[in-house]
Amino acid sequence: MTRLRAVLFRLRALFRSRQMDREIDEEITSHLAEATEEYVQQGLSPDEARRAAQRRFGGVTQTKEVYREVWSIRWLEDLALDVRHALRTLRKSPAFTTAAAATLATAIGTNTAMFSVLNAVLLRPLPYRSPEQLAMLWTEDPTQNLREGRSALWDVEQWRSHSQSVADMATFDSVSTVLTGADGAEQIAGASVSPNLLPLLGVRPVLGRSFSAEEAEQRQQLVLISHRFWQARFGGSHDAIGATLVLNGFPSRIVGILPADFQIANFDADVWGSHTTRRSVRGPQTWFVIARLHPGATFEQAQVEMSAVARRLNDPLPAAERNRGISVVPLSLYVVGPQSRLALWLLGGAVFFVFLIAAANVAGLSLARGTARTREMAVRAALGASAGRIARQLLTESVVLAIAGGLMGTLLALGGIRLIRAFGPGNLPRLNDVSLDLRVLGWALAVSLLAGILVGLAPAITAMRRDLRPSGEESGRSVSGGTSSRRIRRGLVVAEFALAIVLLVGAGLLVRSWWYVNNIDLGFTPERVLVMGVSTPTTFNDPAQRARLYHRVLEQIQAVPGVESAGITGDLFVSNPRERVLTIDRDDGTVSERLPFARDEVSPDLFRTLGTPLLRGRFFTIGDQPGTPPVAIINDAMARRSWPGQDPVGRRFMLGPRDSGGPWYAVVGVVADMRRQGPEREALPQIFVPLAQNPPPRNVDLFIRTSSEDPLAMAVALRAAARRIEKNAPIYGVAPLEQELGTYLTQRRFQTSLLTGFSVVALLMAAVGIYALIQYSVATRTRELGLRMAIGAQRGDIFRMMIGEGLTLSLASVALGLVGAWWLGRAGSSLLFGVTASDPLTFATVSLLLTAVAMAACYFPARRATTIDPIVALRLTS
Amino acid sequence: MTPDKRDVLYGTLGLMVIKTLEALGPLHGYRIARRIEQISGNQLSLNQGTLYPALLKLEEMGWISSKWGTSESGRRVRIYALTRAGRKQLQNEEAQWQRAASIVERFLKISQNPA
Repeated sequence: MTRLRAVLFRLRALFRSRQMDREIDEEITSHLAEATEEYVQQGLSPDEARRAAQRRFGGVTQTKEVYREVWSIRWLEDLALDVRHALRTLRKSPAFTTAAAATLATAIGTNTAMFSVLNAVLLRPLPYRSPEQLAMLWTEDPTQNLREGRSALWDVEQWRSHSQSVADMATFDSVSTVLTGADGAEQIAGASVSPNLLPLLGVRPVLGRSFSAEEAEQRQQLVLISHRFWQARFGGSHDAIGATLVLNGFPSRIVGILPADFQIANFDADVWGSHTTRRSVRGPQTWFVIARLHPGATFEQAQVEMSAVARRLNDPLPAAERNRGISVVPLSLYVVGPQSRLALWLLGGAVFFVFLIAAANVAGLSLARGTARTREMAVRAALGASAGRIARQLLTESVVLAIAGGLMGTLLALGGIRLIRAFGPGNLPRLNDVSLDLRVLGWALAVSLLAGILVGLAPAITAMRRDLRPSGEESGRSVSGGTSSRRIRRGLVVAEFALAIVLLVGAGLLVRSWWYVNNIDLGFTPERVLVMGVSTPTTFNDPAQRARLYHRVLEQIQAVPGVESAGITGDLFVSNPRERVLTIDRDDGTVSERLPFARDEVSPDLFRTLGTPLLRGRFFTIGDQPGTPPVAIINDAMARRSWPGQDPVGRRFMLGPRDSGGPWYAVVGVVADMRRQGPEREALPQIFVPLAQNPPPRNVDLFIRTSSEDPLAMAVALRAAARRIEKNAPIYGVAPLEQELGTYLTQRRFQTSLLTGFSVVALLMAAVGIYALIQYSVATRTRELGLRMAIGAQRGDIFRMMIGEGLTLSLASVALGLVGAWWLGRAGSSLLFGVTASDPLTFATVSLLLTAVAMAACYFPARRATTIDPIVALRLTS
Repeated sequence: MTPDKRDVLYGTLGLMVIKTLEALGPLHGYRIARRIEQISGNQLSLNQGTLYPALLKLEEMGWISSKWGTSESGRRVRIYALTRAGRKQLQNEEAQWQRAASIVERFLKISQNPA
């Protein structure tokens, strides 16, 4: 209470310093006047009286100075004194100082590095005007498991005209773009955006201008280019504005350059064209929709409104299609999804645990030191220092220590940030923005101060509690160190191990998930397979012409030595497919239903190349040609969904509703499920049809199974083979299939390796903590142990006693830690794969590991205890 | 740690101030100074000015409070009064002071006739 009042008083004084000055002036003047009056009454002349009063008072200026000092500078002086003293004390025990500062530096450094990631990815606002008003709008249909589905332009127009809370909506999507230049054609990343997109985001080109709605309406071939493309192709020259690019065969004029690093959420492109949003027909559902809410409108309001709009639009539709909804997802949540967010917060929490363990460790160390310094403290108390003053001194010492650790830690964090930027998951958005900004530095400072207080608290409390009157007695005579400090130290060690257990369990669960993800049956074997993207030249407008081209490229590639087989499909990895109507011939008649499924044109050898097993029927053959009856292969998921309990081979289906008049496809084979949305997602229903019978896409992926362990080594030969057939067909994205697959796992790898690293550090620190505790316990109890041995305790008994002390502590922390791990595990269970958050194997392994480490850490000091010579030990203090 | 001289000074001066306020009730600075001089039989020759930082310190600790008022001669002066916390503090300090004084006294006696 008193302390708080003093602080408030000082704060007030600080802000009212001028008024305080005036008041003391007035007070002194009155004082002198009163004194003068009294002297006058005693018979002095006014002049003499005034002088006498002044003499009596002393120096007015000095008084004012001292007065001012009392209310402003004093605490600063005290602080400087304490800091000087702390530095001297720390210098006097370099071993302790180095160990403690290094421990704190590691903890503060990792903490700061991790915080810089959280800061860049989660906390820093997105680089748009008022990003908190931006949202993605998605078409969804829960009955078809359609979430975050794209939308049709016509729909978007309806939404826009019916909503109050949304200020504007814009649409965008990627566009397959071939750039024809002097040295042949190449595939580049293209995008098409509605002309209002940039104004909606509040982004302006750094050079030139954006396109207007009229220009988009007139379908003028105008494009914006990315900063990166501008630098690479035009060397950053102003001449780029007005230059012409031949895109997909049409000359297009560059009107503007986008800012560096511009992207929409995670969506990026080099060439940005425009599209008109006015539509008379619904059109394909392929567009991403981004919206800006009116200031003051909430996402909830927008969601309520959009749900109402969706209901209204559903009314005229057939009953089966009335489940469509619109979901409003804040842009920040879309950029970094809930899964990544959760993982990052958990990692942040984990690194904070490491920090707490480190602080506990250093606190334990300085408590041990505090016991050794009892004599020093007693002398000070005898000299007149209050317990509070000593506690403050100890706190200052630990804060100085922590600040030193924090400075080193910040340097470590700088290195850590470099590492994270170099090796972090590429698909974690905004990771490139990770840097040491003011907020991160502020965090480092805050964490350092916190460390200082945490570390200094325990010694300070013991110092205040300890009865300071008895002098040097305790240091020599007592049987063991101060009991309250010992109790605190034991508590710290238990807390350290408990925190370490939580981390270890988390890491264990992630490692187990990692193992499951990596050993899952993908439905294909990625080893030794190379992927190459091929794009057909714009002159190949006839689908049959394209089919022939692909066929010839395959033939040529299969002839390359080292190639075992080769196949083609549109894209192996798919995002969420949209739902479509399918008419199926079943035992109980012909039914039409909507379902989400993937449909791909494939070459006959694709499944053999990928190693996907055939479950029933046959693969495609060269015999499946345009003239023969249309055939299809489905996957197991499709078979289970559409022909449950029946053999699909020989059945027919039609793409589209029954009256669409499309061709009937005969199912000739069933292949195993392929996890085409990454290892962690269940296979979708899939339909495969032969390239030869169906119009093949313009862009396809070539899959080449090689006999080489390093398929990339064959890339040059394979590329050359493809070029021999058609030199104008751009080849892009050459990579081993394993690497492509790896991109699905980079975030998981990042999480798993970081958490594993943190927990290993935590375990080591906790082990050092318990080692130091037992070691210290042996050191301070030498006399007691000697006494025990003198009256008959065996060496084995002593060993068991010391080990027992460690065992009791570690069992207590196992119990505590497992409860904590179980509780936290449930929060993070969505990050797991194949294991439950309370996986008994992980819990048991971690408990055993931890107990073993604790025992190992106690072993050496315990053995030391058995070597005590009772005679020497007893003589020690006599 | 060097013992702070000012601390000791304020300690004794402070004790005198709160004792004075306890005995005579609210007073302004000059009256407090005079009273202390009178009680000490004018033996304590301290500059009256040193009183003011001590008063500020005591107010900061919450043991006294102050407000502006008028002196007997009609001047605007700051009048100091003892607070409840101050009264309690006085009791503690008195006891402590007596203990300390008796220790010192005994100590001096022992020193005079070594055993």
